Amino acid sequence: MPTKIETRLGTIRIERRLTYSRLASAATTLTAFLLSLLVVAVILRVMGLDPARAFAVIGEVFLVPRLLSESVKQSIPICLSALGLAIAFKMNYWNIGAEGQIYMGMIAATGIVLLHAYYNLFHESMLLPLMTIASFILGGAWCLITGILKAKLNVNEILTTLMLNYVAILLVDYLVHGPWRDPKGYGFPLSIEFPDQAKLQFLFGSPACTGLLVAVVAAALVFCVLDYTRLGFEIKVVGQSLRVARYAGMNVSKIILLGSFLSGGLAGVGGLSIVSGIIGRLRPGASPGYGYTAIIVASLAGLNPWLVVAASIFFGGLLTAGGALQASMNIPRAATQMIQAIIFLFILVGEFLKRYRIVFERGGRT
Amino acid sequence: MIEWLESALHLTVQMGTVYLLASLGEIYAERSGILNLGLEGMMIMGAALSFIFTLAYGHLAAIIASIAAGVLMSLILAVMAIRMRLNQVVTGLALTMLGLGLSGFLASPEIRRGILLTLNPNIPENLLGIQQAPTLPEYPIPILSEIPLVGEAFFHHNPLVYASYAAAPLMWYILFKTRLGLSLRSVGEDPAAADSLGVNVFLVRYLATMISGGFAGLAGAYLFLGFQPFWNEGMTAGKGFIALSLVILSTWNPLRAILGAYLFGGIETLQFRLQLMGWKAQSPYFLAMLPYLVAIITLTLISLENVRKRIGVPASLGVPYSREE
Repeated sequence: MPTKIETRLGTIRIERRLTYSRLASAATTLTAFLLSLLVVAVILRVMGLDPARAFAVIGEVFLVPRLLSESVKQSIPICLSALGLAIAFKMNYWNIGAEGQIYMGMIAATGIVLLHAYYNLFHESMLLPLMTIASFILGGAWCLITGILKAKLNVNEILTTLMLNYVAILLVDYLVHGPWRDPKGYGFPLSIEFPDQAKLQFLFGSPACTGLLVAVVAAALVFCVLDYTRLGFEIKVVGQSLRVARYAGMNVSKIILLGSFLSGGLAGVGGLSIVSGIIGRLRPGASPGYGYTAIIVASLAGLNPWLVVAASIFFGGLLTAGGALQASMNIPRAATQMIQAIIFLFILVGEFLKRYRIVFERGGRT
Repeated sequence: MIEWLESALHLTVQMGTVYLLASLGEIYAERSGILNLGLEGMMIMGAALSFIFTLAYGHLAAIIASIAAGVLMSLILAVMAIRMRLNQVVTGLALTMLGLGLSGFLASPEIRRGILLTLNPNIPENLLGIQQAPTLPEYPIPILSEIPLVGEAFFHHNPLVYASYAAAPLMWYILFKTRLGLSLRSVGEDPAAADSLGVNVFLVRYLATMISGGFAGLAGAYLFLGFQPFWNEGMTAGKGFIALSLVILSTWNPLRAILGAYLFGGIETLQFRLQLMGWKAQSPYFLAMLPYLVAIITLTLISLENVRKRIGVPASLGVPYSREE
């Protein structure tokens, strides 16, 4: 790489950093984050909108209880998927299929509800536990397909996980337009509404509180698995060096299979949290890209499960703010997606600055 | 019956051209070792800008603006993936999100009005609020377009379709028969070896990535101006990812991409036609899955070692290169 740029004033060099403290790393991420907001402000300004007011509207989302509870609700699928991604990314397994795994989880959860509603196969109290298990298994299986291809045939998981997203989305489209359509739904592509026992609101009757509990429990589990179990250790070794893992006698394909299953399973439960926590039924396009936002969240949180919870709530708030921005300032909803992407790009450049530093040397060409 | 078939084939070529244009550039990027997952975002930016610029200045400016937008976005990807050696997957996805968000933002009625007035203060008032733009005119090629069946399907199109006919063989020729193409493929195969032979790995990768961005922008312009001239937020609807599947199906070969593009275009045409013929509402969803499934199956097949060697999958796809390591 041409690591040197010579200018009249001096030389600019890019050097690899040998050490970088945790504090400096956090400071870099924070700076990148603030810079991204600055860029957003400039774009809004140029387009003739008032950035200060826009940020005030976004900030308000976290202060008004009703909006905060909506933000938390929106953050749950993001959080669960991002926790799954944290496992996969630690393993250096580039699962970008959380979106598809979310959709498969929604299919599993809805399937259980329909079995109950149409055939009355089990008691109401069994609904949520069965839905959770089913959505974990189906979401996990969806990722496991790519895991098997990777472990046995070394097929690139980036492309397979990405492609399977669309297959899952289309499968949901098919189900709600076809066999799973609510017979009393006036022909709209919607499933029946879930009964109350199938809704994620057992804690204080509030979907936000219940969801938050689920997210925190999931974060704790992922934290324990990654830091205190043999599997977690093996996942990290596989992620750092396949060769080391093989020399150490680890069963690499078994680890990839397990890791990908867990990763997809968590996204699957994320899907459950959409149909039973946010919408209360299955419909096409039920996830507006939570699975992709989860990738941002996992990167922003540096794959730390606890930070994933916090970052998810921020992005859940941003999604909620989209509606408020449109209502109060006539800013199109797409703006929130643009803001997400800009934050993401800056965080990535921050990652670069953590690994390298740019050195200026005075005194130019002679 | 003949007319039905003629118009179906015509639509197949129209749809296929979107995929063909986008995948031609992506083939170059991937052959050089860069996986451009920002394709979808660059396409939709192309579509949005061709909408705005057609209203302000006309078709030619629109096409140029779309290509420029694609190149500019791919330059961001190139700097982040090649110079900063950041993860290409994540960076590419970030650009796709950026494209989807920014295009929706810029082309939304509220914001678009201001942009149009800035670009062209004399713009007629009635153009400020409309959601559509005039399509590119079609020019039937004399004599050829009168051949039954094929004529209508292949030789009665707008200039961008004809450009794609010329671009595919040309890009195949450059990639496989010239020194430049050899450098490009060697950089994607083994950058260290290419570097030691004096190929400027970084320059080649920058160029290839920018070519992919330019073609993606053009594909977006064609999608909008060619046959879907109504602005719709997120109107590419995953077409960029279908183009990525096409790159895999074509096994990174521009000539095979032609066949694949019309195959995918045909599948999409069939979806419309079956719906019109009153087939059960669900059949289109399974047809729509085909491009993705085909890509996964192709990926699996080419992972087998002997097939891989025969086809020449770029071995360093997605791996950043550094002289230090």
